[in-house]
Amino acid sequence: MKKQFKISLLVFVTVIFFIIFYYSLGANNKNNPNVMLNKMLPTIELTSFTNSNLKQVLPIINKDKYYLINIWSSWCVPCREEHPILMKLKDKIKIYGINYKDKKTNAASFLSKLGNPFYFTGSDNDGSVSIELGAYGIPETYVVSSKGLIVFKHVGPLNKKIYLKISEIIK
Amino acid sequence: MRNIFLVTLFVFFISAQLAMGSERDINIYKNIRCLVCQGQSLNDSNSDFAVDLKKVIKKKIINKESDQEIYTYLTVRYGDWILLDPPLKKNTLLLWALPLLFALIGGAFIYMKALISHPKK
Repeated sequence: MKKQFKISLLVFVTVIFFIIFYYSLGANNKNNPNVMLNKMLPTIELTSFTNSNLKQVLPIINKDKYYLINIWSSWCVPCREEHPILMKLKDKIKIYGINYKDKKTNAASFLSKLGNPFYFTGSDNDGSVSIELGAYGIPETYVVSSKGLIVFKHVGPLNKKIYLKISEIIK
Repeated sequence: MRNIFLVTLFVFFISAQLAMGSERDINIYKNIRCLVCQGQSLNDSNSDFAVDLKKVIKKKIINKESDQEIYTYLTVRYGDWILLDPPLKKNTLLLWALPLLFALIGGAFIYMKALISHPKK
């Protein structure tokens, strides 16, 4: 009886440990985009990367049903990969670009070569604007509602699956 | 002579203030996880993310924000995972309670064993 109890206890503890480790292994703690979901977009002021007198404050309330924010740079290879998707999205939604730690000339040449999907592009020379948004790196994309809520966030380059997801959200 | 003494005292005071400031920065950096590195604190990392975040924290310290305000700013954006010393909350209860629970179970086990091998007369 005593031996049976010990074995049952051992099995119970092992199962509990297995469950905890199983879920912990699957968890993405490194860059969890859900942290900012359904939260108000922090207020940021973007300064145009072509004209420092042009400013744009986000979030914009009650103007467009949804708008998109994309953090990018000309030196970032995944940003180049996702660019055709942004070009496809620009006809469906206003895109505000945040040009992360980039040289003006390189960013301008990137856009003139691959097309400009952005309604407005602001500079983030020291990375502080991206941190204000809770970004981990580039590229990163946010879909914001007219109330200023972040309804979708994607860490990494956009792909066909994410394009369809965003299209579904904003339709 | 008196003026030299006062100037020296002033210089010492300013350096002490600066040293205290940098010690506070380092203590905060040590308690923040570098989210793009493997198991490093912000203090140990020189990644782009860490360098940017250090600058943001430094600005907040200069703006006289408290440690708690800085931690709240970061957890709102990156979750509790960014803190190397996670706070006691509903979802971290297991993390805090398990070691205590194991200590209690282990203690009880040792006590029972001792009681069996040396029964009270």
